[in-house]
Amino acid sequence: MQSVVEFDNVGLRYGTGAETLTDLSFTLYPGSFYFLTGASGAGKTSLLKLLYLAHRPSRGAIRMFGHDAITLPRERLPGFRRRIGVVFQDFRLVQHLSAFDNIALPLRIAGIQEKDLQGPVTEMLAWIGLTERADARPATLSGGEQQRVAIARAVIGRPEVLVADEPTGNVDPDMARRLLQLFAALNRLGTTVVVATHDIHLLQEIENAQMMRLDKGRLSDPTGQLKHPPRPLVLKN
Amino acid sequence: MLLDFALPAHDRKLIPEGRLSGPMPWVIAIMLFLTILVAAAGVTLADAARKGGADLASKVTVQIIEPDPVARAAQKAAVARSLRSVPGVSGVNPVPEGEVRNLLEPWLGSGIIDADIPVPALVDFRIDRIPNGQMLRAMQRRLESVAPNIRLDSHSSWMAPFFDLMSALVWLSVGVFIMLLVATSAVVILAVRSTLNTHRGTIEIMQMMGGTDLQAARLFQRRVALDALLGGVVGFAAATAVILALGGRFAAVEPGLLSGATFPWYGWVLLAIIPLAVMGLAMLMARWTVVSALKKML
Repeated sequence: MQSVVEFDNVGLRYGTGAETLTDLSFTLYPGSFYFLTGASGAGKTSLLKLLYLAHRPSRGAIRMFGHDAITLPRERLPGFRRRIGVVFQDFRLVQHLSAFDNIALPLRIAGIQEKDLQGPVTEMLAWIGLTERADARPATLSGGEQQRVAIARAVIGRPEVLVADEPTGNVDPDMARRLLQLFAALNRLGTTVVVATHDIHLLQEIENAQMMRLDKGRLSDPTGQLKHPPRPLVLKN
Repeated sequence: MLLDFALPAHDRKLIPEGRLSGPMPWVIAIMLFLTILVAAAGVTLADAARKGGADLASKVTVQIIEPDPVARAAQKAAVARSLRSVPGVSGVNPVPEGEVRNLLEPWLGSGIIDADIPVPALVDFRIDRIPNGQMLRAMQRRLESVAPNIRLDSHSSWMAPFFDLMSALVWLSVGVFIMLLVATSAVVILAVRSTLNTHRGTIEIMQMMGGTDLQAARLFQRRVALDALLGGVVGFAAATAVILALGGRFAAVEPGLLSGATFPWYGWVLLAIIPLAVMGLAMLMARWTVVSALKKML
């Protein structure tokens, strides 16, 4: 099976400090669901940054969508990034844009016509329960609402890879479950999902999800499946 | 690049209104006001030097030095006749003796001139090109056959320092013009960098979502272009008012060295182009600044 992401002996170092990530080697396959766990400071966010091409590694090799991501020319990065949806830990909503405009941002960047994005954005707002708050600025939204907008923004472009950093940290259990169902639905459509989380209950929601655990920048593979094709996904009811 | 004006309204919202505006259009207005004035001065001087130079430098005066008034008058007429037969010579003008006396009177006094000092006879003429030494020597030899004691004064020789000064001033205005454009570019770069720092978060998010450097640059280009356009209109209007007012003063000046100093029609075309050129320059600077800054980010 063609992989989506391949890490080979990857290390990441900020400045001249010690390595934040060390000797990471794994493969992510299309349509798979991965949870990334680890203690605070283990390097989860750094690993996600490599996945959404915000950083280049200090060493090792990364292949994404069949291409070498290390030597990828800068002008080709936007095309790759449009294939990746990101939910940032701190949401990173654009504060002076409404919830609607925040969600529509990836589509507008991709050049989607205004008439073609009204429907999907409105539908997404309804799905996350924020239709009434479409015109609200992020500062007037609660933490949970902001998180939902951030997730909607990440998934609206139907990315091939979805990377989410603690996506359910600020929502109630019901909403967390609904958001996870959204991720699972995208996953069923073929999106590879990587969710970094501390929430062990979340890990149990998706039965066939694979788990990566980071410990002081090194990766362990508790399920032993990272180098193997995933099994079909089954959601627990 | 002009398409960058046509950004959709939702794209324009990405960088909030009023961040680059404020002092920026007024700084550009002042810079453009000065730039246009310098350009106008340069064009006026260059035009005056060109016209005046061609007019004065082709003029030659023959001085006939002959103490006997009767012989002097006869030689004056003979020189004029001889000159009229030379190809390329035009505007032969025997200067009336009274006019010559009037010219000397402020320095020598009327009584002395009449009584004691023989005044040379003068004949002005024009040559169809600026005369060189060889031409003047040939002319002198020809005229000496009818008036043995003459001197030829080419106006180009005594006007040379003046036109050298004019030329230096034109080059000075070109230099100041370029320096003002550089300063305007520096202002734009500083303003764009400041705005880029303010909105770095938004730009980073756009980049993470697949936004290109040029998409980000267009947001800044449009703002800078609008500021430059507003500043340009204000600066151009103020400078035009000053140029028209100064033009009126020049027109009132007695004919003389400055009589050729008019503002030519092509000068207005040049001045009208400057605000547009500055706007284009500002947009280029904005694009370059943003793209350079973004290249330092992944």
